[in-house]
Parts: sequence; C-alpha cells; structure tokens
Amino acid sequence: MSEKKHTSKHYEMELQEIKNNLIYLGALTENAIHLAMKSLTDRDTAMANQVIANDYEIDKMDKEIEEKCIKMLALRQPTAIDLRFITTAIKITGHLERIGDMAVNIAEKVVQLNEEPKLKPYIDLPNMSSIVERMVAKSLDAMIKKDLQLAEEVRRIEQEVDDLNEQIFRELLTFMMEDSKSIHRALLIMHVSKNLERIADHAQGIADMVTYMITGENVRHLAKDEN
Amino acid sequence: MKKNLFYKIFFSYLIIICTSFLLLALFMRDEIKDVLTSQIETELLSYAKLIDQTSPEKASERLSEVAQTSRSRITLINAQGRVFADSESDVSKLENHLNRPEVQEARLKGTGKAVRFSNSLGIDMLYVAVSVKSGTAITGYIRLARPLHDVQTVIEKVCQYILLTLFVVALISLLIALFFSYRLYEPIKAMERFTERLREGKAAGTIILDTADETKTLADNINYLVGELRDKINIANEEKSKLMTAFTSMNEGVLMINAQGVIEFVSPVLSNMLSVRYEDVCGKTIMEAFRSIDLQKAFLEFKSRSENVNREIVLGGTEPVILSVSISGVHGYPEEEKTMIVFHDVTRLKKLEQIRADFVANVTHEIKTPLTAIIGYLETIKNGAINNVEETKKFVDIILKQAERLNRLVEDLLIISNIEMKETKLNFNDVSLSAVITNVIALVEAKAKSKNIAIHNNISEKFAPVKADRDKLTQIFVNVLDNAVKFTPDGGRVTIDAREEGAFRVVSVRDTGIGVPGDEIHRLGERFYRVDRSRSRDLGGTGLGLSIVKHLMIAHGGRMHIESQYGRGTQVSLYFPITPFQTS
Repeated sequence: MSEKKHTSKHYEMELQEIKNNLIYLGALTENAIHLAMKSLTDRDTAMANQVIANDYEIDKMDKEIEEKCIKMLALRQPTAIDLRFITTAIKITGHLERIGDMAVNIAEKVVQLNEEPKLKPYIDLPNMSSIVERMVAKSLDAMIKKDLQLAEEVRRIEQEVDDLNEQIFRELLTFMMEDSKSIHRALLIMHVSKNLERIADHAQGIADMVTYMITGENVRHLAKDEN
Repeated sequence: MKKNLFYKIFFSYLIIICTSFLLLALFMRDEIKDVLTSQIETELLSYAKLIDQTSPEKASERLSEVAQTSRSRITLINAQGRVFADSESDVSKLENHLNRPEVQEARLKGTGKAVRFSNSLGIDMLYVAVSVKSGTAITGYIRLARPLHDVQTVIEKVCQYILLTLFVVALISLLIALFFSYRLYEPIKAMERFTERLREGKAAGTIILDTADETKTLADNINYLVGELRDKINIANEEKSKLMTAFTSMNEGVLMINAQGVIEFVSPVLSNMLSVRYEDVCGKTIMEAFRSIDLQKAFLEFKSRSENVNREIVLGGTEPVILSVSISGVHGYPEEEKTMIVFHDVTRLKKLEQIRADFVANVTHEIKTPLTAIIGYLETIKNGAINNVEETKKFVDIILKQAERLNRLVEDLLIISNIEMKETKLNFNDVSLSAVITNVIALVEAKAKSKNIAIHNNISEKFAPVKADRDKLTQIFVNVLDNAVKFTPDGGRVTIDAREEGAFRVVSVRDTGIGVPGDEIHRLGERFYRVDRSRSRDLGGTGLGLSIVKHLMIAHGGRMHIESQYGRGTQVSLYFPITPFQTS
C-alpha cells in the first residue's frame, strides 16, 4: 500500500515537472516575442541579437520536454487525461519551439532594419504584436488552468491578427509604390508581420491542443475550415 | 447503547441464576427421592415386623387392619412363592411371586426391596419383602407395597418452589440490571454527547457528573484534556492572528511553498499586490502561478544552494511590477522543507530612481547643448572671425538665441521648482475660460496658419468661469495649445471643448497629431520627458511644457489627463475643480 502511494506520488511529480517545464518554455517564448518586438520599436540591435542568442535555451527546453514525455509514455503507460496531456505536451512544445524560431526571424529582420533609417512610425505592428502576445499568453493560461473558454477566446482573436496582417500589407504596398527605395525595408517589415501572423497560428494550434486535452475532442481542422 | 448495556447485564444475571437453580433442582430431586424412599422403606419394614410371623392364618386375620394403618398393600407369600393372602387382590388370581426381585432379595438377605412402575395404578410402587423364618428355613415372605405418591408430590412441590424462586430472583435481577445499566449509561451517554459536540467544533463547556466511580475519573480526564486542547488552540489562534496582523500591516507580500513546490499560503498584502494580474495562486506551483523565468530561476537557485536568495524581478506583461524578492527556508517542519518568498514592490522606487537619473542626464544635456554652441561660436569669433563683421553678427545672433534658450530653460525649471516648493502664490479669481482661450489662440494662430492647422474653439462664452489664477491659466493653455500645434502635421485640426463632469469643469484639447505610444503616456508629465527625442527638440521647446502644466494643475487642485492613440492623435483634458481648495 505504501509502495503504491509512493509510486503514484512520484508519477504525480513527474507529470507536474513536465507541466512546469512546459510553462517555462512558454515563458521563454513569450519573452522572446516581447523582446523581438521591443527591439523593433526601440530600434535596439543589441536586444535583437540577444533574442537570437537566447534561442538555444528554447531549443534545449524543447528537447528536454520531449524526452521527458517519451520516457513517461514508455515507463508509466499513462491513461485517459494523463495520456492526452502528455501527447498534447509533445505537440505544444513543438508549437512553442516554432514560435521561438519566429521570434528569432523577427529579431534577424530587426537587425537589418536598424541598419537603415526608419521607414515610418510603427502603429499597427505594435498593435498586432500586443494582440499576438496576448494570444500566446492566453493559450498558455488555457493550458495551465485547463480553461476551455480561454482556448475558445484565442481562436476568436486569431481573425483580428489576420485582418491586421492584411492591413499592414496594403499599407506597405502603398509605401513601395510611392518610393522604390523603401521596398527593402517594407519587405522586411512585411516579414515581421508575416511572422507575427504565423505565431498567432501557432498560438491557435496550442489552444486547439488544449481543447483536445480537456475534452478529448479534436477541433483542429474544424476550426480552420470555419474560418 | 442503553439496550446493549442493559441486555448484557440482565442476561448475565439470568444465565447465572438459571444454571444455579437448575443444578440445584437436579441434585435436590434425586436426594429427596432417595431420602423419602428409604424412610418409607424403613416404615414398611417395621410394619412387616408387626405382622405375626408365626402363623400365616393369624396374620391373614389382621392383614387388612395393618394394611389400612400402614396405607399399603400387604401380600403374604409362602416359601414356594404362592400368594395365600393379599389385602387388596383376590389371591386366586395372583401368580407365583417367587421371581419378584424383592422376594428374591429377601430370600437371600432376609429383607428386599424394589421400585417398579405399576401398570395397574400407573405410578411408581415401592415393594418391600421380608422373609419369615422358622429356625433357619424360610417358611414364607411378607411383602408390603406402597405407591410413591408422597415422594412424587414432594418433588413436584420442591420443583414448583424452585421455579417460583427462580422467577422472583429473575425479576429482581431485571430490576438490578436496569438500575446498573442506567447508572452506567447516563454518564457514558453524557460523555458521548460531549465528545460529539467537541467533534462538531461547537463550544462544549465541561462535563459535570454526579457519580463517584470510574466514570467520574474518566469525565475529569476528558475535561482536563479539553481544557488543555482549548488552551493550545487559543495559543495557536493568538499566534496566528499575530502573524496575520504582521503579514497584513507590513508592505511586503509573503508566499509559502511546500516541499512539492506548491504554493500553500499567500498573505493578503501579496494577493492585493497581484490580484490585478493573477488569480488565486494557492495550490499551484510558482511556474503555474506567475510564469516568470526569473522567479523560477531564483527559486531553483535557492533549492540547489539552500541559501537565501535576493533578486529583483519584473512580473506582469503590459504593466510590469518590479518586485524585490527574497527567498528563504522555513525551518521547524521536520517532515518537509518549506520555502518562504517575500515580495517587496519597488516599482515606485525604481520609477523615482529612473526619473531622477533621467532628470540629471536631461538637465545636463539640455544645458550643455546651447552652451556647446555658445562656446563654439565664441571660440570661432575669438580666433579671428571677429574681424569679419558680417560673420560675427550672424554668430552673435546664434549665441544670443542659444543664450535665450538657456534662459528659457532655467526659467521653466524655476517655475516648476517654485510650484513644487509652494512658493508660487496663486491669485484665485473667477476666470472666463472662453476669454482666456481666445487670447491664447491669438498667440499660437500664426504658427497654426503656417502649418495650415485649423483651431476650433467650441467653448461658449456662457460657460461658467473657473476659479483660477489668470496668468497661470494662460500659461497652461499656451503650453497645451502650443504642443497641440507643434505635434500636429500640416493640414491637421485642433479642437477645444469644455464640459462639466462631476465636481470638475473639464477643458479638453484634441489634436490630430502624431500621438503617443500607450506605454509612455504616464511618463508625459515628467521633466524633460520626450517621446521622440530628436524630433521634438527640432520643434523647439525645453521638454518642460507638460511638466509645468501638470504642476500648475495640481496647484489649482485639479489634474491633467492625457489620452492618446499612437499615430492618430492626442487629447489633453484639464480638470478644474468647481470648488477649489485654497493653497496657502
């Protein structure tokens, strides 16, 4: 009896550790997006370089979580919600790692942008970035709190980001048509916007996985079709 | 409870009583039977001796007489066993009696007896036979038989008595059992009720029993234990309330984490400090609760080194809180190591530090820029340009302009410092807003026209006057309108409105300018704070305008409120109290 209790306690702790690591990875990527976008608005190349340099930490954590999940699957044979949690964790860490890479992409573009004069004051981009950051934060919150409503909210916000991306694209197009010298910078900014939009997609992916974890219902491609 | 106790006592009594009486009855029965039978036997033998044994004829004559006195049947038998006289039956019908056990016994021993069940009478009969001898030869036998009526009756009687006694004693034992079970039951029940109340956590008082046996001792012990427990609880509560008071009254928030890394306790101050951003954090790990890498790292560092860790950590995304965090172990739990984290909100402190540092940097920069220009041009003049009158005139103009700028800067600084030191006397009068603003518009109109900016004054002349110092009010509006015109691109619009809102008259100046990023709005009143440093200095100004407005509004008992959308425009609202407090 005491042996069994001990085992389950251990099991519980291992699950909790995976969860903690996942949140840690989430916080790292959140931070990376935030710093990348801040380096853009503040024209801070050092900060952008820091984001690029810190990506190894995200990659390391990604690998670590995946290994832990696989070990857990192999040794503990989890069932029901635990099984869903672990498979979900594997997918979520994949999403988070991709988000981290996109933050790096943004930071790389920022480094290039800072070499040239400012094209225009950023208005929609910080707006978009704050929405995307909120989406990532909400999808992580949904995972931590196992909150279906939050996951649903993330899916709703995604549309806003798509619209903003469109708007930024049109605005940059006018800049490019007016002045061919601005094309390089405009394209870089477009890259940033595109990456933000893809981060939003990954945030939605996380939200979908959270929904699957809670209900066991796969909403992934359903949601995409509706949009 | 009562039933159990009562039955236990009663049945044990009953079993003891019944067994003893049954055994008694069993032994008595045999004993009585033996005694009575032998008594009758002796009696019958003595009757037999009374019968004349010499001649059977004589004996026969008195046979019925003796039979009547001895209440028995008398049979005379000859040596061959033939019955020749009987007190009850007809002799001729009787068979040979020589084989009867009592006769056989008498033949051998002289006397004999036997108990047999008589079929004719349906009862046990006692037969006694005596041999009649002449010399040594047996000449005949005398047999007496008596039904054992008496013995039976006596035994039945005795059994009846025993049963009666048994019944009475059982009844008594029932009463005794009732009494004792009641005596035991009452105190036990009282204690049970008492402990039940205690278990439910109600105030129980003490148990009072009027017994003097072991239950009394038990009750006393319970009372003692309850008293001890109450004292302990009181002490614990007192300690807890002391601790909670300390936690509530100090500025620092406290968090307790158990060995599993789960948050166990959050002090009210901390939950207040974090309530805006974080929900209930109890029962979560710190990573789940705060999702802060720095905090987690600090915590892990503490765990690995078991040394107190002090760190400065920023929590929260859009509106960050800077917390000074110190992590330490909680000792006194042998089972598990707990961790305490103390949070101290240093956001304000950090902000003030930042403002001070910025101020020093800015003021030196602002003063140094014109000074560098002045020194540079003066050096040029000294090094020969003085001979070139045209050049020198140009340089002197620039020097004068820079000196004026320096002067303006110092004056602005003086204004602010005077307001802050409360050395500026305000002459409160009823001032018409519309008049003041019309004057101010006249001052900035030229600049607005050059940029093709339209200024709309929507304040009616009938709008109620505000209590203010006319000169300072003019200064306020000059600064605000000048800013609005300065930061609005060509072809823009500036609109001035007034309204009443609660206890305030509010003037708002809205422009279609470049706006301010959301996270910088709260820094606008700071001295020398500029959103875009390079640009706003090009536009002239000292970087003190809004700071002066802010301080003047505070001196008027009002406040300044700025709303802005980056890239879209800014609205500055000035709140004048309808009934201002008098500043000394």
